[in-house]
Amino acid sequence: MKRRTLHMLARYAMLVAVTVVFLFPVYWLFAISFKTPEEIFASPPLWAPGSIQFDNYRVLFKDGDAITVWNSFVVAGVSTVIAMVLGTLCAYSLARFRTGGDNLAIWIISQRMIPPVVIVFPVFLLYVWLGWVDTYHGLILLYTAFNLPYVVWMMRGYLEDIPIELEESALVDGCTRWEVVRKVVFPMARSGLFATAVFTFVFAWNDFIFALVLTKREVTTFPVQVTHYFGGQSNFWAKIAAMSVLGTVPIFIAVAMLQRYLVRGISLGAVKG
Amino acid sequence: MSYGPSKALGDSQFKYWLIWPAVLVILLIGLFPLVYTLVVSFQNITLIDEDTSFHGLLNYRLLFADRRLWESLMHTVIFLVIALPAELILGMLMALLCLERLPGKQLFVALLVLPTVISPIVAGATWRLMFDNRFGPVNQIIGAVAGEPTTILWTVNPSFVYPAILIAEIWQWTPFMFLLLLAGLSNVDRSQMEAAEIDGASYWRIFFKIMLPAIRPVMVIALLIRALDLFRLFDVVWALTQGGPGTRTETISIYAYLQGFRQFETSYTAAVAFLVIVLLSVVVIAALKRVELAR
Amino acid sequence: MARVKISGLEKYYGSVHALRGIDLDIAEGEFVVFVGPSGCGKSTLLRSIAGLEEIDEGTIEIDNDVVNEMRPRDRNVAMVFQSYALYPYMNVYENIAFGLRARKVPAPEIDRRVREAAEMLGIAGLLDRQPRQLSGGQRQRVAIGRAVVRDARVFLFDEPLSNLDAQLREEMRSEIKRLHRDIRKTMIYVTHDQVEAMTLADRIVLLKEGQIEQIGAPLEMFERPATRFVASFLGSPAINFVAGRLVRGEAGLAVRFGDGTELALPEARSEKLGAWVDRDVVLGVRPEHMRRAEHGQLDVTFDLVQPTGTRIYGTFTLAGSEVVAELQAHDIEHTGERLSLAVDMKRIILVDPETDNVI
Repeated sequence: MKRRTLHMLARYAMLVAVTVVFLFPVYWLFAISFKTPEEIFASPPLWAPGSIQFDNYRVLFKDGDAITVWNSFVVAGVSTVIAMVLGTLCAYSLARFRTGGDNLAIWIISQRMIPPVVIVFPVFLLYVWLGWVDTYHGLILLYTAFNLPYVVWMMRGYLEDIPIELEESALVDGCTRWEVVRKVVFPMARSGLFATAVFTFVFAWNDFIFALVLTKREVTTFPVQVTHYFGGQSNFWAKIAAMSVLGTVPIFIAVAMLQRYLVRGISLGAVKG
Repeated sequence: MSYGPSKALGDSQFKYWLIWPAVLVILLIGLFPLVYTLVVSFQNITLIDEDTSFHGLLNYRLLFADRRLWESLMHTVIFLVIALPAELILGMLMALLCLERLPGKQLFVALLVLPTVISPIVAGATWRLMFDNRFGPVNQIIGAVAGEPTTILWTVNPSFVYPAILIAEIWQWTPFMFLLLLAGLSNVDRSQMEAAEIDGASYWRIFFKIMLPAIRPVMVIALLIRALDLFRLFDVVWALTQGGPGTRTETISIYAYLQGFRQFETSYTAAVAFLVIVLLSVVVIAALKRVELAR
Repeated sequence: MARVKISGLEKYYGSVHALRGIDLDIAEGEFVVFVGPSGCGKSTLLRSIAGLEEIDEGTIEIDNDVVNEMRPRDRNVAMVFQSYALYPYMNVYENIAFGLRARKVPAPEIDRRVREAAEMLGIAGLLDRQPRQLSGGQRQRVAIGRAVVRDARVFLFDEPLSNLDAQLREEMRSEIKRLHRDIRKTMIYVTHDQVEAMTLADRIVLLKEGQIEQIGAPLEMFERPATRFVASFLGSPAINFVAGRLVRGEAGLAVRFGDGTELALPEARSEKLGAWVDRDVVLGVRPEHMRRAEHGQLDVTFDLVQPTGTRIYGTFTLAGSEVVAELQAHDIEHTGERLSLAVDMKRIILVDPETDNVI
C-alpha cells in the first residue's frame, strides 16, 4: 500500500514537472503582456509582472492594431460557416450513398495535404488579376476551399456513425429526404458538427501564410500583425505579447469546450479517442 | 419491368446535388493551382517584366543547378528527422506517465494540449521572447545553472539556430503526439496486459510486446500527419529566423515563398512548387490510404 | 387495413441475386412471419415492401396500388426496427409523435393518439423520459408505439425482439400478439427465431437463399414440411435425419438402416409409397416423437445426456447418425445407459435424398 502511494506521488511529481515545462512559455507570453516597459527590460528578467495592468492592450486598441483580431474573426468565422454547410452536405452524400466510393473521399482529403505555399502562389496571381488581394471575400474563399476537405472528411466520419435505421425510420414515418437531413441527420450529428466547426475555425484563425501573401492593410489578420512587431535588433515586446494573447485566448476557450473531440479532430478522425 | 437505381428514394439526383458545390470549391485549390503552376513553370514569367514566352524545361533544368533549393530541401529534412523522433519519444513517455489512473489526470491533459492549439506564428513569437539574449528567461536559466552570465544569440548564432527552432517545434507538437498516443494506449485491451503481468512479464516487456504493437496504427497515423506538417514547415521558422542567418535555416516552403514574393521569379517558383507537389504526392497518397484503413 | 400482393419480385445486390421470383399474397388483417436463416433475404423482402430497397423486377401492391416507385413516406406503412431507431435527442412523447408531425396531423389529434398508444402499451408514465433512460423492453414498447400511433395500412417488424433477453422476449411476444388481436391490422414480421415464427404467425413464409421454401400455417408447416430444410428449420431441438432404404418386409413397408435396424411403417402411410420401395430415403424423426418403452423398436445407448429440468435430451447413434431423443426428466439416469425407445412412426417424415423434398 505504501509503495503504491509513493509510486503515485512520483508520477504526480513528474507530471507536474512536465506540465510546468510545457506551460512556462505560455505563462511567459501572458506575463510579458501585463508588464510595464521597465519590467520587460529588467535585467535579470522578472519572473512575474509587478501588477496586472492592461496598458499594452490599450495601446493595441488605441492604434487600431486590434482590428486585426476582428479581421481574423470575420474571415475565420464566415469561411467556417460556408465550409460547414457545403462540406456537411457533401459528406452526407459520401457517407450515406457512398458517392464516388473511397476514391472521391481520398481525393478530397488529399487536397488538404498540399503545402499552403504551393497553393497560395497561383492563387495570389489569380487574385492580382481579379483585384481580390487584400479583400475579405478573397481570403474567405481561400480559407473555405482549404478547409472544405477537412470538413468533408471529418463529417463523413461523424455521419457514418449515425445508425441508418434512424433515417430509414423517418423515411417510413413520412419524411422527405430533405426533412430527414434536417430533422434526423443534423440533430444526430450536432456534437460532430460543433467539433468540426470549431476546428475549422481554429485552422483559419491560426493560419499565417495565406494571410501573409493575400493581405496588405485592410484585412490583415492577427498572426500577420504579430510579425509586424518583429525587428532585426529590437522587438516590440509588449505588442508581440499582447497581440499574441489576444489571438490565443479565444483558441484556449474553444479547446476547453472541445476536450472530448480533440483527439478525433486532430487525427483526421483516425483515432476516435 | 426494370427500374433505375434508387429511383423511388430520389437518391440518384439528390446525392449529386449534395456534392457538387463542395467539389467545385475544392477544385479551386485542387485543380487550378496544379494546372496553373504546371503551365507557368514552362514559361518565363517574372513580375518584373512583361515577357511570358515559353521556355520549355528551362526552369526545371535550373532546379538541378540551384544549390540554395537543394540546401533548403536538406534543411527541411534535418528538421524532420530530428523533430519527428523527438516528438514521438517524448510524447510516448508523457503518455505512459498519464496512462495509469491518476486523480485529476484530465486537467493535466487539458493543460498539456495548449501548446499544440496555439497559432504556430504565436508559438514562434513566444519562443522569440523566450530566447532573447538579454531579457529572455532561457539564457537566464542556463546562466543560473552554469553559474556565469550567458548571452547566447539563439536566433542569430549559426550554432544555435537549429536547436532554437527545434526546441520551439518540439515544444509545440509533442503534446499532439502525446494526445494521440494516450488515446491509443487507453484503448489497448487491459486484459492482455493483465495476463502478461500475471505471466510475470516486466513493464518494458509488456510495453514492447503488447502496448507498442497494439498502438502501431495510431502511431503510424500520428507520424504521417506530423511528417507532412514538418515537410511544409514555415511559420515557426519564419517567426524565429525568417530562414536566417543568411539562408541557413531556409526550409523548402520559405525558399519557395522568398523566390515568388521577394524575388518575383514567378515561373521559377512554379517549377519549385511543382517539384514539391511531386515529392509530396507519393507520401500523401500512402498516408491517406493508412488513415482510411484505420477508420 | 390492407392486402399486400407481391408478384415476380427479383432483387440483385451487384452480382448477388438476393431475392428470386417472390410471389406472395397477404390478406387483410393477417399476421405473416418471414423466417429463415441469416442472409436468406427475409429482411430485404420486408424492406422492399417498406420502400427502403429498390426492386429490380416484379411488382409490390398494397391495396391494389402498385407501390414500386412510391417513396416510403407515400406508402403509408409503419415499421419497427431491430435497433428500435429511437431518436436519442427527443423524449418518448416526441418519438411517438414524430411520424404524425411529419404528416402534419393537427396537434390535439397528435396528443390524443400518442396518449392512447402509450396507454395501450403501458408506457403512459414514461412520456417525458429520454430514450437513454429506458430499459430495453421499454424502448421496444416505444418503438412499437411509434408504429401503432401511425394508423398505417401495413405494419412491418424487422426482428424487433432480437436485442432483448430471453425472458423479455417472451413477454413482448405475447404483447405483440395481443396488439394484433386488438387492432387487427396487416402485420409482416421478420425473425430468424423459429419459436417466434411459430407462436406469432397466422402464416409463415420460410425463405432460403432468396427463394420462398414454403408458405403455410405454423402447425401445418411443422407437421407437413415440404422439404428437408423446412423440417430442420422448425422445431427445437431440431429434427433428426437418418439415411436408410425403403424395403418391403413381412409386415409391410419398413425403413432399413445401414446397421440392419428396421423401422416398420404404419399401414396408413404405406399406401402411397409403393414407388419408393428399394430406393434410398432419409428418415426424419423429431426428438419429441420418441419415448421410453418396455419393448420399443430401438435399443440404444446414450452417449450424451442433457437435462433441462422438465425434460431430458439424450443423444445416441443410429447407423452412423447422431440422434437426439427428448424424454421425461427421469427416463435416463446417466451417460452410457441402455434403453429401449418407441418411435411414433405415424409422425415421421421421409425425404428423397436427391431432391431433399419430403415424400
